[in-house]
Amino acid sequence: MANSNLPRRIIKETQRLLSEPAPGISASPSEDNMRYFNVMILGPTQSPYEGGVFKLELFLPEEYPMAAPKVRFLTKIYHPNIDKLGRICLDILKDKWSPALQIRTVLLSIQALLSAPNPDDPLSENIAKHWKTNEAEAVETAKEWTRLYASGA
Amino acid sequence: MDIIRALHMANNDPTAAINIIFDTPSFKSKELTTISRTPKASPLNSASETSANSKRKRGENQNFRSMEPKANATDCASDSGDHFVEDVSTRESSVGSEWWFVACGEVLGLSTCKGRRVKPGEEVAFTFPPKSSLPSPGKIFARGRQHAAACSEIVRFWTKESGEIGRIPNEWARCLLPLVGDKKVKVEGCCKSAPDLLGIMDTIILSMRIYINSSMFRKHHQTSLKAASEAAEGSVFHPLPTLFRLLGLTPFKQAEFTAGDLCKRKRPLNPEDISGLRASLLYLNKSKNPSQNGNEVENEDSISDVDLDNIVGVGNSSELEEMEPPGTLQCELRPYQKQALHWMIQLEKGQHRDEAATTLHPCWEAYRLADKRELVVYLNAFSGDATTEFPSTLQMARGGILADAMGLGKTIMTISLLLAHSERDGSSVSQPTTQSSSEGIEVSNMLDHCPDHPKKATRLSGFNKLMKQKNTLVAGGNLIVCPLTLLGQWKAEIETHVQPGSLSLYVHYGQSRPKDARTLAQNGVVITTYGVLASEFSAENAEDNGGLYSVQWFRVVLDEAHTIKSSKSQISMAAAALVADRRWCLTGTPIQNNLEDIYSLLRFLKVEPWGTWVWWNKLIQKPFEEGDERGLKLVQSILKPIMLRRTKSSTDQEGRPILVLPPADIQVIYCELTETEKDFYEALFKKSKVKFDQFVEQGRVLHNYASILELLLRLRQCCDHPFLVMSRGDTQEFSDLNKLARRFLKGSHNAQQGEPKDMPSRAYVQEVVEELRKGEQGECPICLEAFEDAILTPCAHRFCRECLLASWRNSTSGLCPVCRKMIARQDLVTTPTESRFRIDVEKNWVESSKIVVLLRELENLRLLGSKSIVFSQWTAFLDLLQIPLSRSNIPFLRLDGTLNQQQREKVLKQFSEDSNILVLLMSLKAGGVGINLTAASNAFVLDPWWNPAVEEQAVMRIHRIGQTKRVMIRRFIVKGTVEERMEAVQARKQRMISGALTDQEVRSARIEELKMLFT
Repeated sequence: MANSNLPRRIIKETQRLLSEPAPGISASPSEDNMRYFNVMILGPTQSPYEGGVFKLELFLPEEYPMAAPKVRFLTKIYHPNIDKLGRICLDILKDKWSPALQIRTVLLSIQALLSAPNPDDPLSENIAKHWKTNEAEAVETAKEWTRLYASGA
Repeated sequence: MDIIRALHMANNDPTAAINIIFDTPSFKSKELTTISRTPKASPLNSASETSANSKRKRGENQNFRSMEPKANATDCASDSGDHFVEDVSTRESSVGSEWWFVACGEVLGLSTCKGRRVKPGEEVAFTFPPKSSLPSPGKIFARGRQHAAACSEIVRFWTKESGEIGRIPNEWARCLLPLVGDKKVKVEGCCKSAPDLLGIMDTIILSMRIYINSSMFRKHHQTSLKAASEAAEGSVFHPLPTLFRLLGLTPFKQAEFTAGDLCKRKRPLNPEDISGLRASLLYLNKSKNPSQNGNEVENEDSISDVDLDNIVGVGNSSELEEMEPPGTLQCELRPYQKQALHWMIQLEKGQHRDEAATTLHPCWEAYRLADKRELVVYLNAFSGDATTEFPSTLQMARGGILADAMGLGKTIMTISLLLAHSERDGSSVSQPTTQSSSEGIEVSNMLDHCPDHPKKATRLSGFNKLMKQKNTLVAGGNLIVCPLTLLGQWKAEIETHVQPGSLSLYVHYGQSRPKDARTLAQNGVVITTYGVLASEFSAENAEDNGGLYSVQWFRVVLDEAHTIKSSKSQISMAAAALVADRRWCLTGTPIQNNLEDIYSLLRFLKVEPWGTWVWWNKLIQKPFEEGDERGLKLVQSILKPIMLRRTKSSTDQEGRPILVLPPADIQVIYCELTETEKDFYEALFKKSKVKFDQFVEQGRVLHNYASILELLLRLRQCCDHPFLVMSRGDTQEFSDLNKLARRFLKGSHNAQQGEPKDMPSRAYVQEVVEELRKGEQGECPICLEAFEDAILTPCAHRFCRECLLASWRNSTSGLCPVCRKMIARQDLVTTPTESRFRIDVEKNWVESSKIVVLLRELENLRLLGSKSIVFSQWTAFLDLLQIPLSRSNIPFLRLDGTLNQQQREKVLKQFSEDSNILVLLMSLKAGGVGINLTAASNAFVLDPWWNPAVEEQAVMRIHRIGQTKRVMIRRFIVKGTVEERMEAVQARKQRMISGALTDQEVRSARIEELKMLFT
């Protein structure tokens, strides 16, 4: 197997993710690359993403856990901190990464980001602007997108 | 006291003194009114006096009568005529204190102009270069005369009419510049005579009047102890004494010996006296630690007993008189101990107290100023300090160094001294203890002798603080400061040997120790530790009241006084800052690593001027380091009268040894490794050698000293037992959980002022500590495995050491992965665990060859019922030793650094008293000093230490007074290993000590040594 010298930590994390998944989050490693995870996050309740199922990909680089995992939304999402390529603006994925964080904590943070969009630190300028000028309308759009792209397909 | 003051004012003429008292209605009052103006010199001497007098009489609290004006002031005033135009008082207001007229001097100015004129009597003004452009006085001194003429140091003078006239001589300029620059001195001048028409380089005779500012005396030097390091860099050029000399002032009281005398006395010595000695000392100095690897390296440099004896000399003290101890001492003293008692009593007597209070300290000179107010200024001939307070011999050393070698009973000699001469029995020196507490005796004396006026000035600001501090001192008894290990022993010895009721005893130690000065003062003897002393010293400023510093001790005794050897350390300053009448140092090793060690002791003892770094450095340290024997000779002559040193081989008058101990049989047991041990050792050795060779190749041996010592450490441990190599390094320091908790709580306490948020909460810390205590495993948040070699961050998070360090970009510091607080590597704490071994040693128990031999020896001794002490430098090895001892049913106790004081005492007591217990396991360091273990007659030193002196010291715990049986000492060395080569290094070190080497040679010798170990 290509993953024969997978670090113990990754194996352990994977086992735990599978045996006791976090609520609203599922992550499973790819068969042919144990460092590549298929992730699904349920839109948090009382957020514009409620009812949506969002697909993400997560990849653990060679240096992991000394370097952050690379995570990207595959499902289109209307969110000021996520751009159209699905890239996420989240500090723990960048300079605030710490080896004490795990796949689980990263995904929980992303879930939290869906509950609390932060238009002041935007990745997507247009959406952020929309959010700031007319939040109600922006939220509507997000709900619309969730229905369009993230509804159980 | 008034009488003494008056006597002093009258220059010890009793008649004059009586007149002063009777002529001065308010003499007793110490209050003085401010004199706002410096009296101007007026043309007519008599007139000036009258006016001054009348002015004074108007002053209400004036306690001062004008006396004979100083002769030279008179001369000067009449000579100089009526030309002091400038109003002194206007200038003086800008500084805000008084100007005292010092004297009038004649200066030969040098004309720098051509064709100008200056008339005799004409006023001249001086221009001093701005202070900023001045080199420091130190530099001036260092650069010497040839540079003194640099432009920035020229003092020019000019007249209103003609402009610049000339310059004053360099020697004047040099001492005036810093003083004038600091506004401590001001100068007025007029021309006395000059050629009619000036030409370049013509001589102009000037008359200069020098005034000194009273503010100069406000900051009394003796408060500056804490800034000792600053002083250390100072120079020996003191402008004020130089100025006094130039002015032709002669002290009416001369210092008994001066710097000049000392320098002159330095004559070439007969080199034969010292040849060997010098070499060994040179080595001492040169081997200042090249790296900071803590104890291990430091100890390597400590010096042997033989060298010590060479340096300080073993006095031939057999002719000393003996003195019977008082009946309250409940044990017999040996003759040499009675001699010590007599010697100590004599040294303490010194001068009679009243006499001491009125005798000028020998380092100080008294000068009378020409000022009409009859001011007296004291200058320290050595430090250059100036004061207006009478420096009496009360501030001088009364006490000394009892430097008898280990095992001669310094403790009991000291106890006999406490009993023979203690304030409490009231029989000895007239000591105004009843004149209680509220006033420090020393201070009141000083004040009473303080001649006159200046008091007003000196009482201001800085001095007030000093006064306040001193005034609150409570007169106390004896204070004994000792290392923690000896606390119990002192207590026990005093309790055993002192007749109950004759000496009250109090141990000042622990968190809840009372700070009340009276509690401390009312006990005959207070025992405390260096740790407590240092912490109260550093807290001194914060808390005004209480503690060791609120007592004026009758006597302070430092046990194991070499503890204060490094003069810049907190503890050394703390000791020197204690207020005491009598001071003693007890130490078997007055010099441990360096001649400088003595300096710290002399500073504590107040042996002036050697307690002043500049003088020590100039006359002793420097010459000594430069290989000049005179430095050493001087130390010996300083120490001779104040130090008593006998060794076990010292003899009495009839030539018999002063102390006869049962013989000691010292042997080395060479062990052979078993086949499996050998394989393990060889593998480890090869691995280590590869690393070492890399360092050699890169030429970075000394840069990697720490790593190399670590490699050696593993090899040495392997010789004891291979399990040790599998043990975790540094747990022992924090293995006491309570200590750990305290450390954290203290940390969070400290942060309360600064950044409280960064520190873990008390509750969290307690939780972590509780978890550790329960031995809960937990997992590393990085590798998610059970901790391997767990460390704890200051923020109380745990990681595997490897994991945490790997997460950092650089090796010295980084963020805590959990809370992102910045942490430094040295702040990481190895977390304590139940077992420090990575494997279950009980289950997998195997005896190492050393243990096999030890067990055989112990079994033999068990039959005889003879007690033994087993030393190792690794507590982990003691852990291991417990297994076979328990299995063979040999009852044992253990003493190491983790025990607190009560536990130690309990262990020592039990070992001495319980005849069933045959073995005491002891860590080499815990057993180093003082402890008396004469219940045992065998010692086993399981692993060699770098410095044989440390081993020797531990072993001497059993071979000392009180030992009645033949002593057997066994040292263990494993053949064909690093241990055997360490022996060779030890021997080589001895040779190196006796041959002088240069720095470079010492460095290469070090590398050679290491190479030897890896062969």
